[in-house]
Amino acid sequence: MTATTLPRRRLSGLREFGSSVSTIMSKELRSRFRGRRAFVVLTLYLGILALIAYGAYISAVPAASQPGLVGPDGMSIGAANASAIVGQAIFAMLSIFQLMLVAFLAPAFTTGAISLEREKATLDLLITTPLRPGAIVVGKLLSALAFVVLMIVAGIPVSALVLMYGGAAVQDIVRAQIVLFAAAIGFGVIGLFCSALIKRTQSATVVAYSTVLFLTVGTFFVWRLWTAGLAGTITEPFGPASRAPEQLLYLNPAIAMVEIVADTEITTGDMGRIMAEIRGTGGMVCNGDVCFDNSGGGIAPSKPVITDCPPNARCAAPPVPTAFDPRPLETGHFLPRFALTFAGLSLLLTLASMRLVVPAGLGFRLRRRHPTSAAGTGP
Amino acid sequence: MTPIIETRGLVKRYDGELAVAGIDLTVGPGEIYGLVGPNGAGKTTTMRILATLLAPTAGEARVCGIDVTADPVEVRRRIGYMPDFYGVYDDLRVWEYLDFFARCYSVPAARRAGMIGELLEIVGLAEKRDAYVEALSRGMRQRLCLAHTLVHDPQLLILDEPASGLDPRARVEMREILRELRGMGKTILVSSHILSEVAELCTSVGIIDRGRLLRSGQIAEIERSLRATALLRIDVLSDGDAAIAWLGTDPRVGDVLAVSSEAGMTRLEVPFDGPAGEQATMLQGMIAAGHTVSSFSQATSDLEEIFLKVTGNDEETAA
Repeated sequence: MTATTLPRRRLSGLREFGSSVSTIMSKELRSRFRGRRAFVVLTLYLGILALIAYGAYISAVPAASQPGLVGPDGMSIGAANASAIVGQAIFAMLSIFQLMLVAFLAPAFTTGAISLEREKATLDLLITTPLRPGAIVVGKLLSALAFVVLMIVAGIPVSALVLMYGGAAVQDIVRAQIVLFAAAIGFGVIGLFCSALIKRTQSATVVAYSTVLFLTVGTFFVWRLWTAGLAGTITEPFGPASRAPEQLLYLNPAIAMVEIVADTEITTGDMGRIMAEIRGTGGMVCNGDVCFDNSGGGIAPSKPVITDCPPNARCAAPPVPTAFDPRPLETGHFLPRFALTFAGLSLLLTLASMRLVVPAGLGFRLRRRHPTSAAGTGP
Repeated sequence: MTPIIETRGLVKRYDGELAVAGIDLTVGPGEIYGLVGPNGAGKTTTMRILATLLAPTAGEARVCGIDVTADPVEVRRRIGYMPDFYGVYDDLRVWEYLDFFARCYSVPAARRAGMIGELLEIVGLAEKRDAYVEALSRGMRQRLCLAHTLVHDPQLLILDEPASGLDPRARVEMREILRELRGMGKTILVSSHILSEVAELCTSVGIIDRGRLLRSGQIAEIERSLRATALLRIDVLSDGDAAIAWLGTDPRVGDVLAVSSEAGMTRLEVPFDGPAGEQATMLQGMIAAGHTVSSFSQATSDLEEIFLKVTGNDEETAA
């Protein structure tokens, strides 16, 4: 084998893989998008999204328009911030809702991908074709995710409404979309893996949704209880020194999303309080570079409140006393870690699904042996 | 010439139970080989091993000289497989269904459209081209599945009970199609539990039971060897015991297997070792001896019945 033939063969293998994936995809999409159903669902979804944005607007306006309103951290929120408060409220509602939707929809499209073929006894016909099991799995996954991705992309203009009001920047919206995409892929792969592992679609669905529930809700509760256990008391569990490994939360797309939303909050809101617990700042709540004492007095602020800083502006924070701050309170701490963890998880589960699709004992090879080497061995 | 199918000591064990117990099978190019045996004999397991869906526990299986476990993908390119139980993608149209499988076998787009038309013509579904698969009858689906095995023009067709569950008319249609495929020079491995169903179609037959290939060879030889121990069903209106005694004197008649009497009629089942002509002379003799025979038939059409006797005999001699 010369040095030049190897990459060429690899390239043709890649092309073959691509065409196999597109074969599966075109068949899947053909049956999925046939008729009006997909378009009706998409229209409904966008309608609901718009309604939610409107609802957030309605509920945020009265609070935002009160002049001289004082936030929970004692900082005054002037009417000057009204628009940003409304924008932030819309952004928060839309992001959280979209994530919930992805958690519901992504597994729904994949939990039947393999097990339905098995139940309807079409899998044998598919496996006896020369299609690579990897191509079958990837084609199924991509076509299942296509609709979820379409929904996310179609929702971007609605999210972009926020930009009219302020309160969330373009990069915040981009970050939220990254979480949505990563969650869609991860949850989709979890559904696919369950589908390949478990014979019956019904059981696969139950297991997939249990897993999704554990990742989005369970990990946080486990982390909280663990942390409470370390602190020895349930009433004041969130001391800075003793916390459960935060790696547990890398598996949770909701935490990544909460962090993004919390970082847009003008005063400390619900999301900010959750992040304060996770970041282990105790009574401290940090917003961007600025931290406030949110414990109702008693504890000294780790970062002094900047009084000469105009509201909603970014001001340089003074040096932080290390005793109160065990880690840098960076924003966007969880997003890259979550995205990487989910990417790794997706890759592993996809490979495992490929292995599960191959009939037992008929050797799983990522790359096929060259045909001529095998064909010539016959007697 | 390399045989299209060659298995050596093929064994498949499921959880300790032996489904295939050492099968040596050889099928040459252009042969239509019928694998005949009762349900659970190991036909489907053998076919699934050849179709690269199961790995054998021991022994080896080769298709066109390629080991099915060593390079399943290359084997898949050379075979068309139709399982005994399968589903179809309901939400596709007939032509889309075939187009999908043609793409799976990397048939170039330019050739697909024409080929799909030809295949639909062969299986008699040309006018159903744009119908949804969902709307097809069972017989039509069976023929569509058969068409899908042909999209890549394979050397070998593995058809597991292609006529099962079909009404008589659809069975005849299926047989016609298989005959046409034989004319196209395909090697076909077909299974059935009814010998007569494959007898007129196949060039060779293998009788399989309890995971063993009991007999294998040209259809004429097999038929002769099976006919040699035909099962006769004789209804006698006169004294049954006298008839049994009379039959016992004939060396070609084996021990009476079953006796049942009701309303003055006695039904006897006896194995008979001899060609059809001798059965007639025996009947003449029986009537001449004064026995009132109301019915005299050879239970050859039901293979399983004869076959169980045959395999039972084989076991006795082995023991």
